[in-house]
Amino acid sequence: MIPSRRDLLKALAAGPLLFASQRPAAVTTVNGVVFGVETFSFHDLPPAGDPQLIPTIIKNLQALGIAECEIMSGHIEPFASVMTGWWVQSRRSPDFPRLREEARQWRLTVPMTYYRDIRRRFEDAGLRIYLYNVNFNETFTDAERDRTFEAARELGADGFSSSTVLSEARRLVPFVQKHKMFVAMHNHNNLVDPDQFATPASFESALAMSPLFHVTLDIGHFTAGNNDAVAFIRQHHGRIINIHVRDRKRNNGPNRPFGQGDTPIADVLRLIRDNRFSIRCYLEYEYGSFRPSLDEVRTCFDYCKRVLAS
Amino acid sequence: MMAMRIRGSVIVTAVVTMLTTGLRLDARQERDAGGFKAPTAALERGRAVYVLNHCHFCHGVDLTRATMGAANLSQSPFVGSDEDGNMIGPLVKAGLPNLQTAMPSYAELTSEEIVDLARYIHFLRQQARFRELSQLSDTPAGDRTAGEAYFNGAANCRSCHSVTGDLANIGRKYDAARLRERLLRPGPAMPSEGVSRTPGQAAHLKLLESYTVDNVRDLVAYLGANR
Repeated sequence: MIPSRRDLLKALAAGPLLFASQRPAAVTTVNGVVFGVETFSFHDLPPAGDPQLIPTIIKNLQALGIAECEIMSGHIEPFASVMTGWWVQSRRSPDFPRLREEARQWRLTVPMTYYRDIRRRFEDAGLRIYLYNVNFNETFTDAERDRTFEAARELGADGFSSSTVLSEARRLVPFVQKHKMFVAMHNHNNLVDPDQFATPASFESALAMSPLFHVTLDIGHFTAGNNDAVAFIRQHHGRIINIHVRDRKRNNGPNRPFGQGDTPIADVLRLIRDNRFSIRCYLEYEYGSFRPSLDEVRTCFDYCKRVLAS
Repeated sequence: MMAMRIRGSVIVTAVVTMLTTGLRLDARQERDAGGFKAPTAALERGRAVYVLNHCHFCHGVDLTRATMGAANLSQSPFVGSDEDGNMIGPLVKAGLPNLQTAMPSYAELTSEEIVDLARYIHFLRQQARFRELSQLSDTPAGDRTAGEAYFNGAANCRSCHSVTGDLANIGRKYDAARLRERLLRPGPAMPSEGVSRTPGQAAHLKLLESYTVDNVRDLVAYLGANR
């Protein structure tokens, strides 16, 4: 079909915007499977707030040849995540109320240019922040939740990955609707607390709350909780944004180098590849090693490449 | 001559660069690998268990910087009551599955690995507690009466010491800071290969792991008054 003059004028008027939104997104694929890194994997980063922290993450991603990441709030905000109330144990500290309030005030007052500058640094390096990892919890005020969604947008993230709980997910429903931005729930393997994300049922409860709720399936924790990651992905692939690729043993077993645990990493990667599921695979290195974390993340990536080549 | 000087300075620069680069690399590796190189082969085995099972990631490279909601093992009474892994071992093997983020179960560790791990944890704990307690300020002053009760009671110091015998007039010999340091760690700062602690040193290290701040202040007040 030949475009009409009106269509051309419309396109011209929208040109700069279209160009901006169609800027080629950086993507790293291996046999059609998209890879990224959860920045938690970089264990030896400078501390929160250090000016070298973001440049080191960028350098690490470039060294790995991986273009996108899920970045932890503790790598964006200049204070340790212990101050944001996710760790129940940290709330027992007498300093917690003061530290939490300081973190809240920082979030409410930091100019958005702070986040835009971080986004620009990633984009200038040919990288992108695809997910902002924020662990929402009941210590957040509504103003803080609003502000955190605005921050994610400025970072260029499509949405959040969040180690949160079902009770907080209920509070987030109006915020995902208002900001039109998804939150992907991340699981651990606490099978006792019914508020935690750890089982298929806990994910299904959240998915029923909002179409903007999705899943970041940590296949290692899921396996440690004696769940079947392959079956869950087959059933819910349309609602899974990304998986965290790690290897743990069953029965709450430890993290192990890729291929040495019970997690069906190979089956999961091939399932995503063969079915062309649009699920991103984010490396998460958490086993013990004497080597620098960058070397270990590279080893994890090499394992995945070998699996996908066969 | 000038050429030699230039060559010399190039060599010096190269050596300095190599050294500083090497040092930087080592520092990075140590941060990632659990810091604290252990001073003996047995403790180094324990460090390997600690690091390769990723304990340092949550409990900190020197036990003092616990993250992810993990227990501070330098202060935990549970660790203080452990002997060669008799308490730590069963917990590590079972894990803590009901925590907010579960502590994994390390069921595959052997008995030998558990003993090595426990000894390394105690070593780190002793270093951490010494750093903490030896830097106490002298105020508020301790309570002499409480110090005497602790000396003769819970700490059982009197089984080896006497304020009229080996500790007579000790308050004249040492000021408060030195006295504190001596009672916290009367032996060498670090274990050495092939050198066993004396029973007395071992008993002091056991106490070092369980002293409260008040215990130390009270003991210093009690012994310091013995002039």
